Amino acid sequence: MSALPPISRAGNIYDLGYRRYEGPRLGRAHAIRSLVNHSFRTTFGIGRSGRAKVAPIVFGAMAILPAVIIVGGLTVAARFNFERQLDETDLIGFDNYFSAITAIVVLFCAAQAPELFGRDQRHGVLALYFARALRRSDYALGRLLGFMLAVLLMLLLPMTILFLGRVLLPADIAAAFFANLPNLPPVLAHGAIIAALYGGLSMAVSAYTPRRAYATAGIIALLILPAVVTGIVIQIGSSPIGTALALISPNTILDGTNALFFDHSLGQEYFFIDVPHWTFLVGAIVEVVVAVAVILRRFARITI
Amino acid sequence: MSLIATEGLTKRYPGGITALDGLTVEIEPGIVGLVGSNGAGKSTLLKILLGLLEPTSGTASIFDLPVATRGIAIRELVGYMPEHDCLPPDMTATDIVSHLALISGLPRAAARERTAEVLRHVGLYEERYRAIGGYSTGMKQRVKLAQALVHDPRLLLLDEPTNGLDPAGREEMLELILRTGTEFGIAVIVASHLLGEIERVCDHLVAIEGGRLLRSAPLGSFTERTGTLAVEVEDGRDMLAARLAGLGLRVVVDGSSILVDLVDEAPFDIVRDTVVELGLALVRMEQRRHRLEDLFRDDPAVGVDPGAALAGTVLAAAPPPPGVGPRP
Repeated sequence: MSALPPISRAGNIYDLGYRRYEGPRLGRAHAIRSLVNHSFRTTFGIGRSGRAKVAPIVFGAMAILPAVIIVGGLTVAARFNFERQLDETDLIGFDNYFSAITAIVVLFCAAQAPELFGRDQRHGVLALYFARALRRSDYALGRLLGFMLAVLLMLLLPMTILFLGRVLLPADIAAAFFANLPNLPPVLAHGAIIAALYGGLSMAVSAYTPRRAYATAGIIALLILPAVVTGIVIQIGSSPIGTALALISPNTILDGTNALFFDHSLGQEYFFIDVPHWTFLVGAIVEVVVAVAVILRRFARITI
Repeated sequence: MSLIATEGLTKRYPGGITALDGLTVEIEPGIVGLVGSNGAGKSTLLKILLGLLEPTSGTASIFDLPVATRGIAIRELVGYMPEHDCLPPDMTATDIVSHLALISGLPRAAARERTAEVLRHVGLYEERYRAIGGYSTGMKQRVKLAQALVHDPRLLLLDEPTNGLDPAGREEMLELILRTGTEFGIAVIVASHLLGEIERVCDHLVAIEGGRLLRSAPLGSFTERTGTLAVEVEDGRDMLAARLAGLGLRVVVDGSSILVDLVDEAPFDIVRDTVVELGLALVRMEQRRHRLEDLFRDDPAVGVDPGAALAGTVLAAAPPPPGVGPRP
């Protein structure tokens, strides 16, 4: 064996020159777009370790599962010409799919929101962002918007499957397309409201709670507990307070906006509500605005 | 054009700690060492210059752009390497650096290209596709330097870049800083508490202590006072001291040692010859460095008179700062 000198891979520096960058600098809008994109990908674990992909894949699969089962059922029905019967006994449709997967979306938010604001704070990455040519609010809004879009994708993916199944399976595809088309605007509007509300509230919690476990617990508490309290108050029998709580609790707000967008009446459990459905939309918008304000305030004041 | 100018810059943290206390300094382009002990206000100064912290009072500017109003324009021209860990462990070096290049406004293709270039420049090759969580401290420091360089800044602010590195890693980091500053024409401010380290790469030193400016001057103006030669002999200490003083050296007797001011290399030979001439038994001869405060005394030409002998004793009794101690 010849005696070769030990090679230190990390220790050698080769002079390959340094070139100036003379190209364009695209500014803050580009920075925000990049942050939105990065947050969206990070939420789904793209470009990260395998472990970071587990939660989004599991929750994503759970959110899609009902749609896959329904479309599978429709396929079987179409094959045996049972379509009419199945359509009438179809329990989960466009108007109640979102409420069916609420728990999954809440868990997704609780698991993934801390991956953005929490991770940046835990590992000191904020210093690298804030030392660049953007405002602190640009950072906060870019991250927030990216997360909201990720939640929106979680919501719209099963809806897309449902829509395609309903349109493509019947013999007359054109007729089925136009029959299902009116469902799209309420699906998009309500999906956007859910993503903004759950996304905004979860990110507000995680902005103030760098520790992952606390942030997750806090998000679950914030999104679920008010609905429980509302239920208890209603049991006791105070309808003005119950109404007020229903307009505050994120879960009941979304039941209200669901009724608004799909033009339904509210379910039996909301017998005590005597306000118009649009007040729930106002409640949702107010909470999103508050969440955004809380996040902006946090990052305007944080010291690094 | 001045690189950095501050005027009465003061920062008081809630809780009464004053990190900067009316700091007024003007820094010209070049590689500038910002020296001071821990807590002297170095990091605070860098953060104020970047707009990461609001000063309590006073003003600062970089490239004649006021920090208070032109923060974004300044940060476009500046690269910052923080002192502490700042890298997400589950991203690869390539991913985080190119992401930060995008945030700095580079188009996607340019960001990718520059990322590959700067990572190669700092000496990261195949490792750059692995998650940072598995990196050594030295590799992390390289990534931190790379992200500060990726958007081709006009000025680099490096906060303790050799922190946590072993001696070989320190050498390489200093070499990188030197090359970045001299060959690429990027102005560099290196904050460090290790004078012995940054005096090797800097052409200008700014010393701060307790948030105040001790001294700001070109490195050359204090190189003549960067050392002391400690000589120990078995007997005849006083005789040797008297003889050396007679030969024109500045000499302080400190316990069993004789401290000789090193202005140039000459005292080594003079001491050796004198010891031989007097027939003394030489026990030890070692070069010591002054502490930071002594280096930045107002008048560098102050001689060692009998009154200063006491100060000399204190000076020698204090342990040298880590990394600048006696060389074997």
